Amino acid sequence: MQKIFRPLIALALTLFIQTTSSFAADTPAAKQKIAVVISTLNNPWFVVLGESAKARAVELGYDATIFDSQNDTAKEASHFENLIAAGYKAVLFNPTDANGSVANVQKAKAAGVPVFCIDREINSTNAATAQMLSDNYSGCVALGQHFVKVVGKEAKYAELLGLVGDNNTWNRSKGFHSVVDRYPGLKMVSQQSADFDRAKGLEVFESILQKNPDIAAVFCGNDAMAMGAYQALVAAGKADKVKVFGFDGADDVVKLIAEKKIAATGMQFPKVMAQKAAEFAHEYIKGKRDFQQKIPVKVELVTPENVSKYGDYGKKN
Amino acid sequence: MRWSGWLIAVVVVASLCWLFPLFHIVPLERAAKEKAAATFDPKAFAEKFWNEQLLTSLDKAVKAEELLPAIQSNAAEAKRKYSRSVGVSESYTYYIAGQGRVLAVNDDEVSLAVTEGATTAEVSLQTGLLFSNAIRDGTGLLNVNDYPNSQDFNAISEALNRIIEERVLPKLRETAKVGTIISFVGCAEVNDESTDLKPLKMIPVKAEAK
Repeated sequence: MQKIFRPLIALALTLFIQTTSSFAADTPAAKQKIAVVISTLNNPWFVVLGESAKARAVELGYDATIFDSQNDTAKEASHFENLIAAGYKAVLFNPTDANGSVANVQKAKAAGVPVFCIDREINSTNAATAQMLSDNYSGCVALGQHFVKVVGKEAKYAELLGLVGDNNTWNRSKGFHSVVDRYPGLKMVSQQSADFDRAKGLEVFESILQKNPDIAAVFCGNDAMAMGAYQALVAAGKADKVKVFGFDGADDVVKLIAEKKIAATGMQFPKVMAQKAAEFAHEYIKGKRDFQQKIPVKVELVTPENVSKYGDYGKKN
Repeated sequence: MRWSGWLIAVVVVASLCWLFPLFHIVPLERAAKEKAAATFDPKAFAEKFWNEQLLTSLDKAVKAEELLPAIQSNAAEAKRKYSRSVGVSESYTYYIAGQGRVLAVNDDEVSLAVTEGATTAEVSLQTGLLFSNAIRDGTGLLNVNDYPNSQDFNAISEALNRIIEERVLPKLRETAKVGTIISFVGCAEVNDESTDLKPLKMIPVKAEAK
């Protein structure tokens, strides 16, 4: 009896092993994972940044997931802990706070996970693998020069600042002031933070407008706040009296520039930065290690005169 | 015995606090000095850079008589050969030296003919308020990667522009008359391919009447 069963069992085992091994060979290897951690998705510009990074990572053959830090460094820290534990191979990172985010990047680095900062920098040159940064200061120097040209050398104006812990807030503000402060006739009557947020921009600027009905212009640290300020002006019936200047190159603002309702913005290139960061991560995973730490990306001035060249968060081909 | 135990504990704790103090008391004046020392001082940095690096690098600038014809014959090739660019950008800078005859002087610029017999401006030296990164980026002597906080790097640009406004431009405005020969070294920032390069707009680091 045993003489009959032994060869049968052996045959069955052989068939089983061959079947399972050929099944395993046909199953594609699990894709490596890339995390896209974005400071906030409550702003269309950052949504474009995150989605562009994710799309490029997917094109390059990775599974990519977007994490929303909701402008909260604690949430950001928890994302980093989770993605390190989950075995992500790289992080495309838009930091919430130039100082507060350094520890998260260091934690990832210690775990062997490279981090590529996009748009916003961290105050460290040895934590991230590379940082693709908008040249906010120079962009706002150009905006400041255009501001003087459009508003004149004597006027009252207000400024809406972004998140006070973010370097971009101050790079933009300082770039702008490096120009306008040279003209003593330009008086800033109010400077308040609206956290890069459209609803806060509306609320804060409404209050500024009530206290300073004679202002001629408002400089906003991003386009979301510029849209909020513009909304406040429309509600107050002053949209044609107060000139609004934004920064980012968001689609809704570019459209309003074309309609001559907003004076100017600085076009950042979120798609270029995000795609480049994903390509860097891919190169790192493939073995490249010599990355330049900071790569500034030029910001271009968009005005009614040249607006036809711009759209869809970049320059038209 | 109980008291001696307490005594030993107090001595041990006191010794630990002495060796590893929980806090330090520092005079306010000293704390302010330490904080100032840790803060980047762009004016002091620009001053040192101006004297020790920039003014000693003037001979590294490309000669205007070489660059200007190269730009006119093939701007893209001249850009490739002589320009510098920082990061991802369509803009680039030239570091240039030469001499030219003053064709015109106005509030914000001095226009020069560099080529013998030229009647239109080939170079214009900017003499108004300066806002460009041309000097910071044009010489290739400063690297953004050396500055953890880019606000410091940006502040250098502003400080260098102020030095030029205070030390170079007043003398240039005073001596530049139509027909005068001016010897110059400086940087030009070109925005993109569509920028008109005739004249080439420069910020002078040095400009002297001959």
